Amino acid sequence: MSAIDISSYKGVLVLGEQREGKVRSVTFELLTRGRALADALGCQLSCVLLGDQIANLEEVIHRGADKVFFVQNPALKNFLPRPYRNAICQVINEEKPEIVVAAATTTGRTVMPLVAAQINTGLTADCTELTIDPETRLLLQTRPAIGGNIMATIKTPNHRPQMATVRPKSAKPAPADPSRTGEIIIKEYDGALFITPEKFLEYIKDTTQEVSIEDADIIVSGGKGMKSAEGFKLVEELARLLGAGVGATRDVVELGWTTYPHQIGLSGKTVSPKLYIALGLSGKIQHMAGMQTSDIIVAVNKDPEAQIFKVADFGIVGDVFEVVPMLIEAIKKIKATA
Amino acid sequence: MQFNKVTDQIVEELKAIVGQANVLYDEEKMEMYSRDEVSDKLWEKMPEVVVKPETAEQVSQIVKLANRELIPIVPRGAGTGLAAGAVPLNGGIVVSMEKMNKILELDTENLFMVVQPGVTTGEVQKTAKANGLLYAGDPCSADSSFIGGNVATNAGGNKAVKYGVTSRHIYGLEIVMPNGDIVTFGGKNVKDVTGYDIIHLMVGSEGTLGIVTKIWLKLMPLPKYVADLLIPFADMQTAIKVVPKIMTAGIIPTCLEFMDSLSIKSAEMYLNKKLPYSDAGAYIICEIDGTSETQVQDDYETIGKLCLENGALEVFVADNMSTQERIWKARKCYAEAIRMISPVYCMEDIVVPVSNIPKCLEAIERIAKKYNCKIPSCGHAGDGNIHATVMREGRSEEEWHELKDNVLGELYEEVYALGGNLSGEHGIGAKRAEAMNKHMTDAQLSVLRAIKKALDPNGIMNPGKVLVLE
Amino acid sequence: MNIVVLIKQVPGTDNVKMDPETGVMIRSGKDTIINPLDENALAEAVRIKNSRDDVKLTAISMGPESAMKALKEAVAMGADAGVLLSGRAFAGSDTIATAKALAAAIKKLGPVDLVICGERATDGETGQTGAMIANNLDIPVQTYVSALEVKEDGVVVKRTVEGGFERVEVPFPVLVTVNKDINEPGFPTLNGKLRAKQVTIPVWGPEELGVDKSELGLGGSPTRVVKVFSPKLSRDTIMKKADGSTKPVDELIKFLTEKEAL
Repeated sequence: MSAIDISSYKGVLVLGEQREGKVRSVTFELLTRGRALADALGCQLSCVLLGDQIANLEEVIHRGADKVFFVQNPALKNFLPRPYRNAICQVINEEKPEIVVAAATTTGRTVMPLVAAQINTGLTADCTELTIDPETRLLLQTRPAIGGNIMATIKTPNHRPQMATVRPKSAKPAPADPSRTGEIIIKEYDGALFITPEKFLEYIKDTTQEVSIEDADIIVSGGKGMKSAEGFKLVEELARLLGAGVGATRDVVELGWTTYPHQIGLSGKTVSPKLYIALGLSGKIQHMAGMQTSDIIVAVNKDPEAQIFKVADFGIVGDVFEVVPMLIEAIKKIKATA
Repeated sequence: MQFNKVTDQIVEELKAIVGQANVLYDEEKMEMYSRDEVSDKLWEKMPEVVVKPETAEQVSQIVKLANRELIPIVPRGAGTGLAAGAVPLNGGIVVSMEKMNKILELDTENLFMVVQPGVTTGEVQKTAKANGLLYAGDPCSADSSFIGGNVATNAGGNKAVKYGVTSRHIYGLEIVMPNGDIVTFGGKNVKDVTGYDIIHLMVGSEGTLGIVTKIWLKLMPLPKYVADLLIPFADMQTAIKVVPKIMTAGIIPTCLEFMDSLSIKSAEMYLNKKLPYSDAGAYIICEIDGTSETQVQDDYETIGKLCLENGALEVFVADNMSTQERIWKARKCYAEAIRMISPVYCMEDIVVPVSNIPKCLEAIERIAKKYNCKIPSCGHAGDGNIHATVMREGRSEEEWHELKDNVLGELYEEVYALGGNLSGEHGIGAKRAEAMNKHMTDAQLSVLRAIKKALDPNGIMNPGKVLVLE
Repeated sequence: MNIVVLIKQVPGTDNVKMDPETGVMIRSGKDTIINPLDENALAEAVRIKNSRDDVKLTAISMGPESAMKALKEAVAMGADAGVLLSGRAFAGSDTIATAKALAAAIKKLGPVDLVICGERATDGETGQTGAMIANNLDIPVQTYVSALEVKEDGVVVKRTVEGGFERVEVPFPVLVTVNKDINEPGFPTLNGKLRAKQVTIPVWGPEELGVDKSELGLGGSPTRVVKVFSPKLSRDTIMKKADGSTKPVDELIKFLTEKEAL
């Protein structure tokens, strides 16, 4: 491996995401992360976006980026691994950022490994914490490992950029400040860069996910304590009433009471809603890895020793089939008077 | 027999014995103590009071109180029973052993584990395994059932073919007798013929002769290698005819189970997973264990080939955690799967000599056809123990009782004609007491009654279970 | 048609214990399994193999000698052959170094049409290696695949993504990583087990792969683990006990209203 000139790499670059021409909110979470890192290093924060047309590029500046690189090409309208990889590698080669951070979404987790392999640098998946080591100025990348039983902190000492994906919802979206200024740079590259054998056919919205749990402000989640598919309907009823997303533990998905897109935890999704209501779930470490950064956690469980109470703000020890119907009634009452 | 009611005064006395927190008397909290897994309103009854003792001494005081006041005592484990054995059908005090849930000692030198009755069987198994040892008792309910309940019913389970039923692993018991005396029989002596064999009288006595408060469990070295075979057959008769061939092939399997096509379909529905060859008429599940990998391999190859020669559609081999778990999930979910399809059902636990299983299954099929009902069966082919479950489905209460009476009546007749018996492992409880009393001779019954009378003259210990009330 | 399935041997989930003092994983060597999603990958490859008669299916694993067991299991489940990458040179590899080794092994086997692997492994949970291997092989990758349809000269995949699914058409050769919705994992058969006993699984080191040792193992890994620690969880929890009355629920509603969470 040829040694690279580490000192020639400067600045923090985050990989924004868009869908249907609109910057997705996960980008703003990355700006929160990126801003903190850039400030710690005293350097610039830039954001790269790929697409055909994007309506709200200004917002990226307002929310903390000093520069926005928009790689514009019709071939980038939908995510395809190879064109995305080529575009990102091109920008990295031109801009030489010392840190590149992407979201651990299906897009980020697909394209970033390609980029890392292409330019032969390290990549740490699914980080929950990113900090700068004040002595070495290296990026410290912390992530859960081995079923969430441990946390590992990882660094990339001799390769650049230092790259990581971070869990969506593990940081708050950066607030918008319309007075912030910055530079929007459109990058146009030769079409050859985007030639790929793959063909994007279609995007199908999953109608079983009435409220996408990644975007939900409230999530009502059930575990094996809901006893049966029938019992799990109580979770869905409360969720409907609150306009909340439905979450589930791995056990519940395995029992077929709900489908995999609802699975929260290490082998499912990571969420960080304003309110997480955990019903009849004991709080296995694997599940908690996917929800413990929620703002407020409420738990109902029969077992006073259940782990979930350790991360809860409000816990009720009791039978879910007694407590939840009462809760449903109480909320109906509020709705009626509101 | 005339029993007295639990008065406020008695509740106060119970509080004084076990502490206020360990006495339940409001109906909502006692609801879960009013039934077991039988799933039929007929076998439910609200306790007058539930107590949760924490020591043998407390149990003794409770029993003394009940004996003095002539109030029934119903000992209860995890409530996973299938014979209404822990349901207070004659009222009285339910003594739940849930707080006596400690493993007291693991003796790796003598291979014993000493436990309280409220430890789950699963925890006993796991603790033994973590120390390289085996507790061989393995009822399907192991994850939730208490070891005390296993002792009370002499639970059987999957590994009984090779390792025997619960009684084989019990070497000592501390018992609170119906008069309140605390006595210990046996312990860590592997050989012990001192006096009557009270241990084996108590094991399986379903709480009618006393309350077990401490148990000495014999452990054995953990077999290092385990393999499970899942063997689909086109039809049940072909499958079952293989069983005696396996049993006489010079290998003792650890488990030898079967599932009929209805059970397979139910499991598939419950697990929401496609099972291999789920259109098959029957599955045989066979487990082999041993200390040498090649030995276990040779054994499963022998059995597997034997099955292929005798009509098996395929032989699947599972020799690691993930594949084994997938196989056993299908077998162990039987009760839950049936409950999903028909919340009310009647699970039977008949047992016949192994060679008569084909005839017994034929009879079940005939009866199901005659009464136009579903009776999925699965169970322990290796020891002739068949769980045949009559499903209520959409029938009215009346139709259901008529169906059940007719089906069970005919089924029991067939079973006795085949040299079988009523219960292989679930026990008699209240559910089968009448049937047992009907099928036993007067001479047999008088032996049972004499024992009961001698130990429990006031008849307060779990009345109406095993023996019908006179 | 050449199909390669990549499998990883991982600890059975019940057996991952942490030393509370040191925070180091205690691995019990015996209870290892094939990474569950790799079983899905294998089942998918076997399904394709059974649907046509021109498939050669090879399973590759990188790991200690004991991973031979996982490869034998793969053969018993329907793979034709297996290859194990093992040796000191591979120890301490991060995803970049692992992907180099596995890509080199696939290249050595000759032209490949389809590479299938699990979307992630239960131990490392990185989910990066598949895409990196595709990059090293310079073939397209499709991740999070929950349905795979084999066409004349390629595949159509259904990917599970945020809020829905995507369908993408890709010509051969291609690498796909699968999630658990794709199928039910299979079982080895007795005949498969007997065949696995006869099959010799070669063990390849850096020499066989023709990869310089400096590109493998810890030396070939851009990332370094700085420290490992136990996660801490705790909040100030308000605890209430259900008592049949609506009081605990009323208090919860009051709490949530104060926090403006409803």
